[in-house]
Amino acid sequence: MSAFLEVTDLRAGYGDARVLHGVGLAVPQGEICAILGPNGAGKTTLLRALSGMVRVRGGIRLDGTDLAGRPPDALARLGVAHVPEGRGTFVPLSVEENLRLGAFIRRSRAEINADLERIYTYFPVLRKRLKQAAGSLSGGEQQMLAIGRALMLRPRLLLLDEPSLGLAPLVTQELFRIVRAINEEERTTVVVVEQNAHIALGIAQQAHVLETGRIVLSGTAEQIRADEQVAQSYLGYRV
Amino acid sequence: MSGSTEVTSKAASAETPGRGRAPGRAATVRWRWIVAALLLAAACYAPFQLVPFHVFQLSMVLVYAVALLGLNLLVGHAGQISLGHGAFFAVGAYTAAILLQRVELPYPLTLPVAAAVAFVLGLALGLPAMRLRGLYLALVTLAIAIFLVPLLKRFEPLTGGSMGLTLAKPAPPAWTGLAEDQWLYFLALAVAVAAFLLAHSLLRSRVGRALHAIRDNEAAAEVMGVRLSFYKTLAFAWSAMFAGAAGCVYTWVIGFVSPDSFVVTLSITLLAGLVVGGLGSFSGPILGGLFVMFVPGIAQDVNDAAPGVIFGLLIIAVMYVAPTGLAGLAGRVTRSIQKILRKE
Ligand SMILES: Nc1ncnc2c1ncn2[C@@H]1O[C@H](COP(=O)(O)OP(=O)(O)OP(=O)(O)O)[C@@H](O)[C@H]1O
Ligand SMILES: [Mg+2]
Repeated sequence: MSAFLEVTDLRAGYGDARVLHGVGLAVPQGEICAILGPNGAGKTTLLRALSGMVRVRGGIRLDGTDLAGRPPDALARLGVAHVPEGRGTFVPLSVEENLRLGAFIRRSRAEINADLERIYTYFPVLRKRLKQAAGSLSGGEQQMLAIGRALMLRPRLLLLDEPSLGLAPLVTQELFRIVRAINEEERTTVVVVEQNAHIALGIAQQAHVLETGRIVLSGTAEQIRADEQVAQSYLGYRV
Repeated sequence: MSGSTEVTSKAASAETPGRGRAPGRAATVRWRWIVAALLLAAACYAPFQLVPFHVFQLSMVLVYAVALLGLNLLVGHAGQISLGHGAFFAVGAYTAAILLQRVELPYPLTLPVAAAVAFVLGLALGLPAMRLRGLYLALVTLAIAIFLVPLLKRFEPLTGGSMGLTLAKPAPPAWTGLAEDQWLYFLALAVAVAAFLLAHSLLRSRVGRALHAIRDNEAAAEVMGVRLSFYKTLAFAWSAMFAGAAGCVYTWVIGFVSPDSFVVTLSITLLAGLVVGGLGSFSGPILGGLFVMFVPGIAQDVNDAAPGVIFGLLIIAVMYVAPTGLAGLAGRVTRSIQKILRKE
């Protein structure tokens, strides 16, 4: 019985520089998977590999479909949405234009409008900022916009790269609560990369610790949380 | 679950980008159309007040404005560069000239053919070229412009070689009662208005949104399903199509084409004109058209020996005073006038 997202022996890098040396993962449908690990471990590269932004070798299967080697726009069409590190909003465009661009591959106007409403219920603050340039939003608001935009794709797989980056603790908590709500209500499978292990383990079912391009530890969120040694050596602090 | 998310707006940076959409955007859009309508009225009135030479000059401004509308799609809206726009202008001009002289096609038909030829050529060249970025793309497009002149000289039976081709200008129909220069002017104006509306509706479509996404953040656009190579190539082909149409009207207005009218300088002047006029802006192509038409002449008047130097200095001066181009400057001036009016 194979999982919804199945990654086997994934290798990837930039030019000659290998970053991932054989990563394996299996995420069941509707679950949240947290990727933890120190700076430079290859977490961002792993997400880039999953969304086609770097060249890969090895296997990536989403619900049985082979994703490896396809370009990002093709993966978007297959339901992979990537919220990149540092958000990647379209700074000069308005909030609404950003959200509508998220639905670029979809045609039905009625559905898109309905989805916009749905996203405003998750992120009420976006409704207040609709006509404002994305670049003029606060860091937290931009992160919400980036996630909202990714949801406009109606993703089957949502990739989040350090959503807490640069956010105040309270905002981070709120954001993760919303990610959890989205995951529960839409049954969207999520892979989230986080430095803030505590908060990520709080919403995830399973977690993996990545170090220098290899997974050095995997388990349920509880197992990883309980592992004192992990806390010390990989996460750098008590969780 | 939807508890209000109060985010402290410490990061709501003051530096809202110039292209940003402020709350007053709907009002500015309405203003733009009012201004455009007034300009159009003035443009219809002008040829009856001016001497033929000035009417001719205005026709040329419109011709360049159409070419710049195309360049603006590519550079201002899709964020790509082209140093070869003049080549497509020349292709349009020559297509029209050859059709008029060798095929004796009625002149209105030369316009769609010239535009189509330039579009197809843009597609063919854009397909490989648009895989490149930045300086590489600049270099390849420059090469297109450089290759064109010897090519035109070479196919003498078709192009008339270095001598070029001389043609009869479209004659005004008797019912209009217009002089030739006025008729040509109105032809150019009609094409310019049509081109303007076309560019506007292209930009408001799904494709326009894709281009803006590519310009602002290529990687993010791609992960949202925008096929970069497809849309970039399309933008290149469109920009070529506008240049081709402009070239065709150029042939109508001037009645003469020769390779020396389309040297590399034309491409560079067009790009400079667009940047000076205002990249990605509504009025940039018109202001740029004025620039391309008049500034090289002014430079010549100031110093006959080194017009290039004066031309360069003028560009530097404009960019220093108005880093977002003349359109940006005009916008700033309008906004401060509005502010003063509101205070009173
Ligand atoms: N665009 C790139 N070109 C070349 N090398 C890169 C590029 N991006 C990342 N790398 C290298 O790949 C390695 C892994 O980087 P990656 O961004 O995946 O790490 P990370 O785990 O996301 O780190 P962080 O927690 O700091 O975000 C690093 O050694 C980095 O230098
Ligand atoms: Mg990273």
